[in-house]
Amino acid sequence: MRQLPPGSFGWLALNEVRLAVRARKGAGRTSATQLIGYLLVAAWVVIGCAIGWGLRDTAIPIVPEVRIAVLAVSIVMLSFMTAQAMLGSQRSLYDVGDLALLFSAPIREANVLLAKMLGIAATIALTYAVLLLPIVVPVAALGHPRLFGLVALLVALALSATALGLALTLAVATLVGPRAARTFGQILAALLGGAVFLGSQLLPRADHKGSAMLALFERLQTDGVGTRGLSSLPGRAALGDPLAIAIVLGVALLLFAGAGLTLQRLFLSGYQDGGNRLSRSKPTGRASARLFHPGLTRTIFAKEWRLLARDPALAFQIVMRLIYMAPLVLAMAGSRHAVPIPAAIAFASVLIASQLVGSFAWLTVSAEDAPDLLAVAPVAKAQIDRAKVLAALAMAAPFALVLPIGLATRTPIGALITLVMTGLGGFGAGYVELKLGKPNPRSSFARRRQGGFVAGLASLAIALVFGGGAAIAVYCLDGGPALSGLIGQR
Amino acid sequence: MTQSALRIRGLAKAFDKPVIAGLDLDIAGGQLYALLGPNGAGKTTTLRMVAGLAKPDTGSIEIFGVDARHDPLGAKAITAWLPDEPMLYDKLSPLEYLAFVAGLWRMDPGQAAQEADRLLHWLDLWEQRDTRCEGFSRGMQQKVALAGALIHDPKLLILDEPLTGLDASMARSVKDALRAQVDAGKTVIVTTHILEVAERMADRIGIIGGGKLLAEGTLDELRDRAGTEGMTLEDTFIRLTTPSTPAA
Repeated sequence: MRQLPPGSFGWLALNEVRLAVRARKGAGRTSATQLIGYLLVAAWVVIGCAIGWGLRDTAIPIVPEVRIAVLAVSIVMLSFMTAQAMLGSQRSLYDVGDLALLFSAPIREANVLLAKMLGIAATIALTYAVLLLPIVVPVAALGHPRLFGLVALLVALALSATALGLALTLAVATLVGPRAARTFGQILAALLGGAVFLGSQLLPRADHKGSAMLALFERLQTDGVGTRGLSSLPGRAALGDPLAIAIVLGVALLLFAGAGLTLQRLFLSGYQDGGNRLSRSKPTGRASARLFHPGLTRTIFAKEWRLLARDPALAFQIVMRLIYMAPLVLAMAGSRHAVPIPAAIAFASVLIASQLVGSFAWLTVSAEDAPDLLAVAPVAKAQIDRAKVLAALAMAAPFALVLPIGLATRTPIGALITLVMTGLGGFGAGYVELKLGKPNPRSSFARRRQGGFVAGLASLAIALVFGGGAAIAVYCLDGGPALSGLIGQR
Repeated sequence: MTQSALRIRGLAKAFDKPVIAGLDLDIAGGQLYALLGPNGAGKTTTLRMVAGLAKPDTGSIEIFGVDARHDPLGAKAITAWLPDEPMLYDKLSPLEYLAFVAGLWRMDPGQAAQEADRLLHWLDLWEQRDTRCEGFSRGMQQKVALAGALIHDPKLLILDEPLTGLDASMARSVKDALRAQVDAGKTVIVTTHILEVAERMADRIGIIGGGKLLAEGTLDELRDRAGTEGMTLEDTFIRLTTPSTPAA
C-alpha cells in the first residue's frame, strides 16, 4: 500500500481487499480454530500436490460433458455468489459504518463504490478459492497449465456476481424504500441462494435422487446446452481457451465497472436513506395492561416472540434452512435402495426439530440483546435459561409437529415414538446451545457458528442418535423386513 | 441515623493487573453520590460488582444491609443498574420494554402497568410509547432505559455515565429525574466525567484512583483536604488525583 498514492483508487481498493482477507482469516475464530483451519488448508494443498503429481503425465480428456459440468457448476456458484454479494452490499450500506468516513473524504464517489465492490468480490472469491486453488494450482503447475483458466473463471464469476448483487440490492432499496430494503434484500438473497436447488427439485429425473448440481447437469445435457456457442464459454475458459478466457473476463469486468459507474448515485442515496430508516409507530391509546404478564416464563416468551415476529428476514432465514434440508430427505426416501418413507419421515422429523430448536435457541440464548439487563434482574440465571429454551421449543413446535402428525396416519405408535424422539432431539439441541453457545448479535445469524466445532458435533450427534432411534423404531413397527420378522417370531 | 445504602469492605478485583485493590466505601441512604476518577480508575468495575455483573476476587458488598455476595437476588431486587450504553431491545417499544423489565422483577401486572403509564408521562415518552426503540435518539434511549430502571421502584439506583451524549434538554430532564428520586428518599450513585454535573448535583463525592478511594466527602470537605478553597471541583479533582512531585 505504501507505494500507492494515498487516497487513490488503487490505495482504497487495496485497503478493502486487505479488510476482506483479514475478515476471512479471523472473523470470530479462536486461535485453536484458526490453527485447525490452517492445518486443513495445508492438508488440502498436500492432496492437491499429490493429485497434480499423479496426473502430471495423464492427458485430461476434453469431452463435451466436462464443458456441461463446468457450466452447471458455474450457474450454481453464480447464484450463491450473487446472494453473498447482496448480503455484502447490504452490510456495506447499512452495517459497517465506514461509508460516513469515505464519503466525507475528498474521494470520488465512483472510486469509493468500486473499491467497496472489489472488497465484496474479494470476499466471495476467497470463499471458493480456499476450496479450489489448493487443488487446481498444483495440477495446473505440474503439467496442465490450461487449468489456470479455472482461476480466471472464478475471478470472472466473483466480479459478475458482485455487480449483479449490488444492482439487485439497490433495486430492492429503490422499490420498497429504506425501511423495508434490508428485510426484502435478505429474503431475496436467501431465495436466490436456494434458487438453483429449489428449481432442481422441480426438474423431472429418472431416479429422483442426487444433488441440485446433478439435476442441472442432466437437464443441460438433455437440452444440448454448454457444448457450443455462448453457453460453452465457461467450459472453454476453464479449460484454458485464451479467447474464451478473454471474453469471460472481459464481460465480467465490463459488468463490474459498468455497475460501479452507473450505480454510484443510487448507492449514495441508498446509504443516505439507510441512515434515515424510521421506526414503526402505531399509537394505541392508553397503556395496555395485556402487555404485562405475571411470571417469568410468560414474560420471556412474550419478548422472544415479539423480537422474532418483528424480524421477518431472520424468520425467513430459519425457514429456508428447512428447505435446504429437503434433499437429504428426498435422497433417503426417493431411491430404490432408500430407507422406507415412514422411517425417513421419522428421521427427518428429529433432524428438522433439532435444527429449528438450535436456531431458535441461538436467537433466544446466544443472541440476547441485553444480557446485562438479565444479569442484574433478581432472577436465577437457570430460570432464565430454562424459560429461553422453552421459548425456543415452543417456536419450533408448530413445524416439528407436522411430520409426526402425518406419520400417525400410517403408524400411530411410530408417530408417538417419533414425537418423543423429536422432543428429545429438540431439547438436546437447545441444551447444547445453552451450554456451548457464544454471545453474538442477532444480525450474525447467517454466519453463526453454534459455539464452534464441539457444539456442531454435539448437535449432529444428537440429531443422529435420536433421529436414528426414531427411524429404526418406525422401520420395525411399519414392517421392516428382517427386524419386524424377528419381532413377529417373538 | 441514616441507614447505609452501600457498604463496601476490602473489595478487590484483578483482570490482567489489579483494577480494584482493597476498596472501602460507605454511602448513606437518601443522597446523590458521585463517584469520580481518572480513566481506568476502576469506577465502572466497582459499580458492576455492586450490580452483580462482575465477581469480586475478595471483599464484601452490602446493599441496604443485604449481603450482595451471599444473597445476590435479594440485593438485585432493590437495585437498578443503568450503564452508559442503554440495555434496550431495538424491536420493542418503550411500553413493551417496561413490561419485560417489570416481568423480570416479578411485579404485579396491574401495578406495573400503572407505574409504566406514570413513568412514560413523567419522562415525556408517552407519545412514543408504541414506537419501536430502533429509531430513537441516544437521549430517548437513555430515558427509556431510565424508565426501566425506575419501574420496579429500586432503593438504590446506580448509573454509569448517564449524561454521555445527551443534548442539554435531555441532560436536564435526566438530572431532574435523578434529583426527584433523591427527594423521594432513594439513593443514587453516578459516575461521570462531567465534573460540573457532580459539582452541582452531588451531595457527596468519592474520588477513586488506582483501585482505592483517594478522597471522599462533600465538595467543601474535598476542597479543604486538597487545599483548593474557592476553586472548582475540576481543580480539586486534578490536585487529588495527580501524584505529588517528590520534594527536591
